[in-house]
Amino acid sequence: MKLISVRSIFALGLLFSLSNALILPVQAAMSKGFNRLMDAVVRIDVREIAFEAGARRYTASIGSGVIMSADGIVLTNAHVASRRAIELNVTLANLERVSAKLVGWDHWTDLAVLRIDMEEVARRGFKFSHAEFGDSTKLFAGQQVYAVGTPHGLTRTVTRGIVSNPNRYFEDTRGIGGYETGTFNTWLQTDAAINPGNSGGPLVTDDGKVIGISSRGYLGANNLGFAIPSATARAVLERLVRDGVVERSYVGIVPGALQDLENFYALESNRGLLINSVDPGSPAAKAGLRGGDIVLAIDGAKVDGRFPEQLPPIQNLIAGKPVGARLSLTVKRAAETRDYAVMTEKLESRVGEEWAFEKWGLSVRKVSRAFARENQLDDTSGVVVIGVQPGFPGDVAGVTRGDVILKINQQPIASLEVLKTAHAAYEAKPSPTLLETMRNRRVSLYILKP
Amino acid sequence: MIRISVLLRAVRHLGWFALPLALPAADLPTLWAERVKSVVAVEYVTETEVDRRPSTATGTVIDANGTIILPTGAIDPRTAMWQLKDFKVYLPGEAVGSKGEYLGQDAFTGWHFVRADAALRGKLTPITAFAPKDAGREPALAELVWGIGLRAKDEDFVPYIMQSHMALIQSLPQRTGIAQQDVAAPGLPVFDRDGAFVGIALASFGQSFLQFSRNNRGNPVLLVNVEESSAFTLAPEILPNLGRIPKNVSGRPLAWLGAYGLEPMDRDVAKFLNLSAQSGAVVSEVLEGSPAEKAGLQNRDIVLALDGKPLPQLKPDRVIVGFIEREIERRAPGDAVKLTVLRGSERVELKAVLGEEPKLIREAERKYFERIGVASREFVYGDAIERRVKALESAGAIVHYVKPSSPAAIAGLRLEDWIKEIDGTEVKTFAAAVARLGEIEKDTVRPEFVMLVSRGGETAVLRVKLK
Repeated sequence: MKLISVRSIFALGLLFSLSNALILPVQAAMSKGFNRLMDAVVRIDVREIAFEAGARRYTASIGSGVIMSADGIVLTNAHVASRRAIELNVTLANLERVSAKLVGWDHWTDLAVLRIDMEEVARRGFKFSHAEFGDSTKLFAGQQVYAVGTPHGLTRTVTRGIVSNPNRYFEDTRGIGGYETGTFNTWLQTDAAINPGNSGGPLVTDDGKVIGISSRGYLGANNLGFAIPSATARAVLERLVRDGVVERSYVGIVPGALQDLENFYALESNRGLLINSVDPGSPAAKAGLRGGDIVLAIDGAKVDGRFPEQLPPIQNLIAGKPVGARLSLTVKRAAETRDYAVMTEKLESRVGEEWAFEKWGLSVRKVSRAFARENQLDDTSGVVVIGVQPGFPGDVAGVTRGDVILKINQQPIASLEVLKTAHAAYEAKPSPTLLETMRNRRVSLYILKP
Repeated sequence: MIRISVLLRAVRHLGWFALPLALPAADLPTLWAERVKSVVAVEYVTETEVDRRPSTATGTVIDANGTIILPTGAIDPRTAMWQLKDFKVYLPGEAVGSKGEYLGQDAFTGWHFVRADAALRGKLTPITAFAPKDAGREPALAELVWGIGLRAKDEDFVPYIMQSHMALIQSLPQRTGIAQQDVAAPGLPVFDRDGAFVGIALASFGQSFLQFSRNNRGNPVLLVNVEESSAFTLAPEILPNLGRIPKNVSGRPLAWLGAYGLEPMDRDVAKFLNLSAQSGAVVSEVLEGSPAEKAGLQNRDIVLALDGKPLPQLKPDRVIVGFIEREIERRAPGDAVKLTVLRGSERVELKAVLGEEPKLIREAERKYFERIGVASREFVYGDAIERRVKALESAGAIVHYVKPSSPAAIAGLRLEDWIKEIDGTEVKTFAAAVARLGEIEKDTVRPEFVMLVSRGGETAVLRVKLK
């Protein structure tokens, strides 16, 4: 009973403010730039493929975005529009819907770029404006900002708040549908209400300049929202438009904040990056680096990783080097300081390519280099089972989620193609098929039976 | 286990048709009074770095020296020998126990052996006094069986009777009787209607139930009765092994083959590999430096026969793993075992000479540092296997216990962390770790120290603030 009365009061309040709006046009208070921004904000409807349940399934979701160029480039989140998207529709400011295509995505910074179908826009005679980036490095705590987007499907919602912290560190190893994020950038924290569906929408200043892309919030907390700063977004947008991907370098160092350890390591203050861990088999490991080492300089440039917030820029510095480049790391270990040459590799996600083998009721993900290292597998051959459909041959045989399938009919699975070929053969003429799987180093044999 | 329990559940429904007792009422109290002298309750204390935890178990007397066997599950296998303290033996219905001595565990049977104080021995009757005339006899289906249960300590371990009828006999791989209802407490004997010993109750199998509540309709749950059991190992599996009293508390010598991760091969796989009437087990990994490695066993070999005898087809498939393990544990270090394995499409004959099992975690040395809040233990062979590192090149100290809210806990030290460096100095041996931590523990002016630990293939630098 109580709940109902609260709800009716809430509804009344809403009506009240609406009637107020009719009398006092708030629009007049907003800047020209802000209005222009409003014409550039879009709603994005996504239909994407999901491989999780041992079958190919389609899911639909709603996010937000902002048009950043006259030729229809839309910036949004990677967790809104990913490579799994099969249909993207963009709702313009005039509430008309046009189709769009994915240009590229980058889960590390949770950014994706779409291109609106400009032919369709011209044919239907639509117009839109595009937004401009502001400078996220000049933001100060307490500065007023607005978030614009589609929270819970409520198209063109503006919320207001302040910059709560312009330099928030957080890394999430599985944040974007299992993909890593937050390693190479810090985030803007805001108390402007950000709800599910706001994702990909712009965070703007009074003049409508985009200083961030709203990305995530703490569930169950009050107004703790996070956005990717425009300094990062601008650079990633350029690369995605130019190359379709952001290629980064990897050396295999997991940094830790030095915090109060300078005395222990006898370092001058504000100097050095603590290596907390070195990925086994990585370039850094091959070069002889190990946990507890302190990096003083990278290619001669001094580094300072005293606090967690300082780590993403250093990671980004390494990531920004060309793949295959030879880095010189000046490293201090106990009393000795010397240079180590490290050859960078191409950075890869832990998450490999996914596929569903529907006749077997198995969805799988290719073992990636990072996954193999993390799970101490001998090499990258094999696929990880990410979904099993009950009652299908995989399930009946006893295959479970998390098993790594290493061989099929005694043939090693070097690539997804090996399985696709076997599945096609099974589809054409179903016959018992032998799988060799591994789970916690235990090897099992299973038969997929028609 | 689950499959068995499903089977059991079906059998339990049949149980409602149980026949009335045919046993003359006068016989049973007499038989009971004699046989209850072959059961005891055993209490012991597990001492950890910070507390003492009492446990009780029930066991059967096996000889005139007051030797008692307790079931496998009576003692947590991770517990170190030195942690087991203050064994006490209680006669059923008595409030005061007398001193007992822990003799160790036998690997083959899994039994823990305890010896009762001399003063108590006269009051005990070994189970062998009730052995059937035909040592190989197994009770028939639907035959009446009865057994003993003991109430808890607060009821002075008062004995009570349970009775049932035989429902099923399975090879798991030991010949195992399953009665229609619970028939004895785990570790206590089961008898037939004439009072002949027919078996010792195992830990109870899980039973599948559906749990209904206001918000949930029919959640599957598995319930295990810890006090009573309907499953028991049959006497012919027990009587010949009563002499396996451990020579020392560690249960050594322990035979070791070193074929890790044996996984059963199901019937479909066997058929696919043209091994239709055959059972087998895949060797996941051959351990470094093991007798299996020396014998030339390879990863992914499928074991088909031991000493020329094909592995039996047992149900569920999983049981074959226990069968092979028991065949190894039955033997002693130095014994040879012939293995027939399938490698690719080729049959290969191998001969392994069993070795002595490397030091186990429960045998590892330990040391507790109260002020730092950490107990560390010696790095043993099993740690190398767990961490996928070369056993012969690895040593040092593993974190065995972290005291809550201690400096070590606040620094983020976790169980099973492998201590690699202390204050920048590599820790090469357990002794070195103990020496370093000991110095730090004693040094009351030192404000902090730094550890490098390895966990899950990664490392972490931890700063332990002592002040």
